[in-house]
Amino acid sequence: MPHESAPQDFFAASEAAVADTQLRRKLENATGRHLDHVAATRAEFPAYDAERDAARRIKEESIARLDDLLVRLKERLEANGCSVFVAADAAEARKYIVGLARERGARRVVKGKSMATEEIELNPALAEAGCEVVETDLGEYIVQLRRERPSHIITPAIHLSKEDIGLLFNEKLHISYTSEPTALTAAARERLREVFLAAEMGVTGANFAIAETGTLVLVENEGNGRMSSTLPEIFVAVMGIEKVIPSMADLSHFLEVLARTATGQKLTTYTNFISGPRRAGEADGPREVHVVMLDNGRSAMLADPVLREALYCLRCGACLNVCPIYRRVGGHAYGSTYPGPIGSILSPSLLGGATAALPFASTLCGACREICPVKIDIPRILLHLRWKETTANKGGDGALPAPEWPRAAESARDGVRTFSRMARHPLRARVLGRVAALLMWPFARRGYVRWMPPPFSNWTRVRDFPAPRLRRRRKARAKIEAANGGTKA
Amino acid sequence: MAEFHKLIANVREALENQGAPAHNGDVALAEAVPTAQAARRVELASQFARELQAVGGHFLGTPTPKETIARVLDVATALNARSVAVGAGISVDPAPIVDALERAGIEVFRTAPVADDAARAVLRQTLAQCDFALVEADYAIAATGTLAMLATPDRPSSLTLVPPVNVILVNIERILTDLAAAIAAIGAEAIASHRLALVTGPSRTADIEKSIVLGVHGPRELHVAAVWQGND
Repeated sequence: MPHESAPQDFFAASEAAVADTQLRRKLENATGRHLDHVAATRAEFPAYDAERDAARRIKEESIARLDDLLVRLKERLEANGCSVFVAADAAEARKYIVGLARERGARRVVKGKSMATEEIELNPALAEAGCEVVETDLGEYIVQLRRERPSHIITPAIHLSKEDIGLLFNEKLHISYTSEPTALTAAARERLREVFLAAEMGVTGANFAIAETGTLVLVENEGNGRMSSTLPEIFVAVMGIEKVIPSMADLSHFLEVLARTATGQKLTTYTNFISGPRRAGEADGPREVHVVMLDNGRSAMLADPVLREALYCLRCGACLNVCPIYRRVGGHAYGSTYPGPIGSILSPSLLGGATAALPFASTLCGACREICPVKIDIPRILLHLRWKETTANKGGDGALPAPEWPRAAESARDGVRTFSRMARHPLRARVLGRVAALLMWPFARRGYVRWMPPPFSNWTRVRDFPAPRLRRRRKARAKIEAANGGTKA
Repeated sequence: MAEFHKLIANVREALENQGAPAHNGDVALAEAVPTAQAARRVELASQFARELQAVGGHFLGTPTPKETIARVLDVATALNARSVAVGAGISVDPAPIVDALERAGIEVFRTAPVADDAARAVLRQTLAQCDFALVEADYAIAATGTLAMLATPDRPSSLTLVPPVNVILVNIERILTDLAAAIAAIGAEAIASHRLALVTGPSRTADIEKSIVLGVHGPRELHVAAVWQGND
């Protein structure tokens, strides 16, 4: 396993991440810029909402008749000259691709940016078989050099500053230190160009698969996907079975919303359509095209009427950027290929293990649902998964370890109940406030309570509390009441 | 058509003599064409130009085929180019441009169907080493500044991917409003039997602190001329 972040406890990891102020600065900076771009692009495209509704409707229809569409897609792909392999799980997919590399004697493999291949942990398997695997998306290349996982679906190196990357390239590529993005990109271009020209096999994902024509659509900005699917003799696309859409005419609705939401572009630089191997006389394109249709838990998601909606996901990554949790802890804390709100749904469903606790790592604020280009009701599905996880454990069959999060959630619920009981009554609320202020007062330093003994340390460990003002409280309240027109209900 | 263009040229000259505000020559020509269709073409071309520039591309205007030669030569000169790879034309004949490039001392490589792996290797090597590529796009999309390019044996996909600079010609009549229109015009069956690339601006990344850098794997410069067909 080259990934150093093994399955882990979100609670512990997020605590460390929150304390990393550098990381928070980088995340706030990158996600903030992203949101500005998205807002600007959407504002100048009046048809955005109509296109979004159309995309949602097509996904609903496609997932509802996924069986027919997959049959049709497979027929068309094969008619176009592609080989289709259906992988029930990650192990089957890995075995097929590794076997193919062995059989064809492919030693050098280039990869375009793909979440599905991250999901099946293809790289370690290929490396074990003696292949040199190179990630060619710049962000993926950077995290591969650091032997890390990507920390964002769209921007894998979002957790690194240009100085971090400068040091990395200085060490690994032996170029003199620079933190200039243009120079760093040029250095990577030069290295990767050689790799592309020599590679025997290219592997990418697919954003859409069109059943009508047997066409894979690959969306990207750098050219890594286009290179990987154009230059090597053997091309493998790994697609989740939910990626299929009925016809070519449906595609534009998705493309009109995908880039606008993912990166704030109108369209990505490259939208590549691949329907089969090269034809007679053609210089480019692979001799062989293999399409791996990946189930790996997706048909189980389909069987759950609430969870099914998560299969509409386009992997745009926007829900990560708006999520108040993601923006503070970053992707690595989730300990999964798929971080953030949608990751907290996909990970337990596709990857299992410790990620079962991720649905509890959300405030359910709903920002993800607002920005989702296909309007997935993420909070609803998270609640559904919490319910499933909690009841599964209450069943007491001992199959699953008792998770930490439900208990934390229960104690939080008890706390809220107590508070609401007190707060409903003005006198009680005043007494409670007074008692709390008196308790906190001895710990106040320079306007803030930064430390308190247990159990209050649960709060002060990660947050400061404004120091209580014992004298001025009533005056302040009178002011508020006056501002509210003196009619406080 | 020849008379028609002559008329327009006369009108333009007359306008200039009257001290009318100086226009970009081509836009003035286009605006003067008294048909709704031509006006629409110009509108789409200017929208395309705006969007292309917004994504970091360069717009070379709406030249006639003859004027196109000079525009391409200008780019080649600015690049200090010594070699160019040229794809087969679709509706714009590249031969006069190729002649001019050769006369300017630039080595021209014409892409042609490859017969075997050896020819394929030669093509790869040539494309990797040439200074720029010149090729015609099938369609352009005004709303997004996008070029649609179907790969054929004499117009391979790597022509617009491997060289560091691309000069793309597109027939002004083939600039369409939006993505849906372009996909419909190309047709599902053509896409099923050819590789299609929609290209919107030069290759770019925002992977390092979200700052935009052009020319990651694909071309770092993209120049587009919307060629106004007809006799010069």
